[in-house]
Amino acid sequence: MPSDETGRAGSPGEPLLTLDGLSIRFKGAQANVVDGVSLSVNPGETLCIVGESGCGKSVTALSLMGLLPVPPAEILSGRAMFEGRDLLGLTRRELGEIRGDRVSMIFQEPMTSLNPVYTVGDQIAEIVLRHRRIGKREARARALEMLRRVKVPAPEKRLDDYPHQLSGGMRQRVMIAMALANDPQLLIADEPTTALDVTIQAQILDLIRTLQDESGTALILITHDLGVVAEIADTVAVMYAGRVVEQGSVTSVFDDPQHPYTIGLMSSVPSLGKRTGSLATVPGMVPTVDTMPDGCRFAPRCPFASEACRREAPPLRRVDASQAPGHRVACVHAPLETTFGGVAA
Amino acid sequence: MNGKGHDNAGAGAPARGDYVLEARDLARRFKVGSSFLATPQVVRAVDGVSLSVRRGETLAIVGESGCGKSTLARLLLRLLRPSSGQVLYDGTDISDLPEREMRRLRKDLQFIFQDPFSSLNPRMTVGAIVEEPMRVHGIGTRASRPQQVADLLRRVGLRAEYANRYPHEFSGGQRQRIGIARALACGPRVLIGDEPVSALDVSIQAQVINLLEELKAEFDLTLVLIAHDLAVIRHMSDRVAVMYLGEIVEQGETDTLYDAPLHPYTQALMRAIPIPSPRSRKVDSGLTGDVPSPLAPPPGCRFHTRCPLASGICKVERPPLATVAHDRMVACHHWEEARAGIPSAAETPAHSHAAERRFALYREHSLAGTAAASDRTP
Ligand SMILES: Nc1ncnc2c1ncn2[C@@H]1O[C@H](COP(=O)(O)OP(=O)(O)OP(=O)(O)O)[C@@H](O)[C@H]1O
Ligand SMILES: Nc1ncnc2c1ncn2[C@@H]1O[C@H](COP(=O)(O)OP(=O)(O)OP(=O)(O)O)[C@@H](O)[C@H]1O
Ligand code: SF4
Ligand code: SF4
Ligand SMILES: [Mg+2]
Ligand SMILES: [Mg+2]
Repeated sequence: MPSDETGRAGSPGEPLLTLDGLSIRFKGAQANVVDGVSLSVNPGETLCIVGESGCGKSVTALSLMGLLPVPPAEILSGRAMFEGRDLLGLTRRELGEIRGDRVSMIFQEPMTSLNPVYTVGDQIAEIVLRHRRIGKREARARALEMLRRVKVPAPEKRLDDYPHQLSGGMRQRVMIAMALANDPQLLIADEPTTALDVTIQAQILDLIRTLQDESGTALILITHDLGVVAEIADTVAVMYAGRVVEQGSVTSVFDDPQHPYTIGLMSSVPSLGKRTGSLATVPGMVPTVDTMPDGCRFAPRCPFASEACRREAPPLRRVDASQAPGHRVACVHAPLETTFGGVAA
Repeated sequence: MNGKGHDNAGAGAPARGDYVLEARDLARRFKVGSSFLATPQVVRAVDGVSLSVRRGETLAIVGESGCGKSTLARLLLRLLRPSSGQVLYDGTDISDLPEREMRRLRKDLQFIFQDPFSSLNPRMTVGAIVEEPMRVHGIGTRASRPQQVADLLRRVGLRAEYANRYPHEFSGGQRQRIGIARALACGPRVLIGDEPVSALDVSIQAQVINLLEELKAEFDLTLVLIAHDLAVIRHMSDRVAVMYLGEIVEQGETDTLYDAPLHPYTQALMRAIPIPSPRSRKVDSGLTGDVPSPLAPPPGCRFHTRCPLASGICKVERPPLATVAHDRMVACHHWEEARAGIPSAAETPAHSHAAERRFALYREHSLAGTAAASDRTP
């Protein structure tokens, strides 16, 4: 069912989704779990959000989908412009119309979003019927087509299987089939491969990439795996304790990492190549919402922290004119060499 | 500093006495299935595994979920009894040792669990958790033990005052440190870690990996490491055994195995790892299909349903784990052909010059600040 509305995505270069200044707080918490997050994703491109457990990746994604429990959560500020509308300001009904159609989401654990009492065929058909004026037979044909596209073997048979009859990798394929059934403009995937084995993960990432090429769907992929980011992202946003601390194209962030957290994270991943010595570490741990420091939230763990860092939250800024456009970092001391001198590499 | 670089790692076949732990044709089956089924089904979780752990080495066991890694680890420590086969500790068969005698050996053989959340008793203080094995094995006295607990906590990077707190007050990384302190409490000789860092975030994972390496050297331990992260394994281990559906399919010295994996499954695993560098996009295991159910493993070679090299013989005849070079074993009918398809982990591209320079700067400054940081952070 080709979309007749592709033109609405806007001219190339214009973002499909622009999130601006999102702040969220949970009832009774001392600090915002998401604090002034701004992001954007272009049509057909992939934005990866990467960061440590608890840094606010899922909360950000859920808020875009209108799935955040409000209360206890409260959206303090922010706009999420998508196809001319603010997703954060939509009514429940308007969101219901967009969700599963223009924007869809895949979760880490497929069993939480697949209904155990319906067959996978019925579940895919259901989501098509909810948004399209077509008959049951056509919807079932669409379900079959989708299972085939996500490369489920023997799709005719699998159509009548229940979720528990499928393996983890197969369920994740079904989730992807459901999410893409209505040709969404934007797919938000929250750790879609974290629960899977690497050989299955490779198959799923490859599938996502192929489907994206075919359909032109934009993707926001949440992960904590820098390998996955390097593999699939066009742009990256590194989050730390509720804030975006660095963002830019995938090559600029990996080749010219600016934020001490990004640098620490990259150098604490062991490599598949020959061992070169003990791993660099990021000492300490992520602050909890109740012990959130003022100023730069990374300061308690940062080897470069100084007084200036603790005064106020460093804004996301471009480091210098020579830097790749769009590459921004929230660090008082970036680029580090100017203050801390070079090291012979 | 760690197991790597122990010069006995690859030098000549070790003498009998150099093995701390040995598995001989070890198997463990589980009956599963609902009570409604007339005939319960059988999972061959570990099926004919032979393996030797050398004194002082770090041996890693790698494989995907459900392949039997945890079962093998539990068998090696006799936390589970084998259905058949033997486990030897210091050359003595412990497979049938009565529990009473086993208890003495437990002092030597300790386990670190994967899940730092469920493996610590929530009703015990951290101090009591770490002290328990000392009490059980009669180490120290009631008066001396609190001091020993405090020393251990400090050694794993926690504050001594934490002894009075409860596990729920700690993060995943801290709980894993508590688990490690407990495992060290009675002076073990062998430590088996079942995915000891898998549940942790990267930045915390690196802290725990470095800690394990330091402790290994300091306490003269032999380490058996269960993991599914191939990069962590390369970093930490001297030798590697690769498992698939209850069997070992390849085994060898770490660098050799990574530089030239011979089994098609090992090759697929290597290819599937996403490399954290956007210059090397390639992830594609070259495999299709899912991991078969361990309830109904394929006949012949268990990998044949997914193997790009499978031929007629693979479907009917189980390939034995055969020695193909010094300290190198492979279970594949066509390993010589497979050799042509070796992917190379060594191709991992270096980081950009700018990135390397910042990594160096980061290291220099974090070393400079280590003393201050360890005061400030638990
Ligand atoms: N319903 C809730 N009530 C209170 N706090 C919550 C709730 N949901 C999430 N949080 C808190 O918000 C913070 C951000 O959570 P979030 O789930 O967005 O993290 P994440 O980055 O997705 O982490 P992970 O990698 O573990 O999935 C966490 O500290 C979490 O404890
Ligand atoms: N107590 C048990 N009863 C029944 N089946 C079991 C039991 N323990 C393990 N199994 C089965 O044996 C097989 C191997 O399990 P095991 O836990 O050893 O795998 P693993 O390699 O550690 O997997 P993971 O990576 O998921 O931890 C699995 O199919 C599992 O379901
Ligand atoms: S602002 Fe200061 S504390 Fe924060 S990351 Fe930069 S140097 Fe470190
Ligand atoms: S024995 Fe055959 S099926 Fe098994 S790994 Fe070797 S080539 Fe593949
Ligand atoms: Mg999350
Ligand atoms: Mg396990």
